[in-house]
Amino acid sequence: MTYTGDYGWREGDRVVPAYAFTQGRTRTAGPELPLEALVTATKLAVEQLPTLQVERRAIVRMSMRPISVVEIGAALHLPAGVARVLVSELAEASLLTVHLPPSTDAIGGPGPEILERLLDGLRTR
Amino acid sequence: MDYAPVRDDQRFASVTDRPLIPLKILVAGGFGVGKTTFVGSLSEISPLSTEQEMTSLSAGVDDTTAVPDKTTTTVAMDFGRITIDDQLVLYLFGTPGQNRFWFMWDELAHGAVGAVVLIDVRRLDESFAAIDYFEDRQIPFAVALNQFPGGPAYPDDTVRDALGLPRDCPLVRMDAREARSSLDTLVALVVHALACSTP
Repeated sequence: MTYTGDYGWREGDRVVPAYAFTQGRTRTAGPELPLEALVTATKLAVEQLPTLQVERRAIVRMSMRPISVVEIGAALHLPAGVARVLVSELAEASLLTVHLPPSTDAIGGPGPEILERLLDGLRTR
Repeated sequence: MDYAPVRDDQRFASVTDRPLIPLKILVAGGFGVGKTTFVGSLSEISPLSTEQEMTSLSAGVDDTTAVPDKTTTTVAMDFGRITIDDQLVLYLFGTPGQNRFWFMWDELAHGAVGAVVLIDVRRLDESFAAIDYFEDRQIPFAVALNQFPGGPAYPDDTVRDALGLPRDCPLVRMDAREARSSLDTLVALVVHALACSTP
């Protein structure tokens, strides 16, 4: 299967549009996953790996190490929104654990404790 | 919102047992100012580009109503990753420069640590819109003058006046090709964000 840019994936002579992977949905039911949300594969996912559809299997494989929604989209050459739907489905099936960004302060960014840690980390690089 | 609820059953335990914390910083600025270079100088991963589809908010720009199932227009967006420690992972998002992609900024900006506004001093006017955007939304930002060889060397005060920068906004002179220089810019931003978060 090869990626064909705007038209999705080519499988044999059939072009499979990206939305076909998500049963036509390009939006999740609940609040949307941020692009930077990290996911990790669950043990259940590892057990079920051989039974998963090819692109879902690819996502679980990638998630053996923490990886974000935006990275998954880039790796699979899928628009970020499509990657988001696939990740949401896998999370709902308990195959992925989602790590969401920290709750935000009044201004909207992370609180001082997290920012201190970020600063320390950047300064010691 | 419950994603993969935590259960006692070992079978459901994640391959990593510790919670991870994703963070993000936006990298804004006009076309060709060095956003891709900046993100690339810091990122530990490649590829560095993803596609983001047009949403209904972009109606009137590209009419997608004729093919409602298809997101017809995508825009490439640079991103990079810096692992900070065993829990924190920082993502850098290069925001698409053209005004018609601004609908994407609101989602990107939500929950961000802050933004770096990259500036080419020869084309200051291209950065006004980004500065206004972050100022209006009280998102901490730092202005980074990407020094191009042979560019004019205006004093800081002149640049601050020309851009109408708030007094507390960091102004950094840097070279986006140098990882150290880009890293120092991030540090200046986070110091500022920290000051904003602790009144």
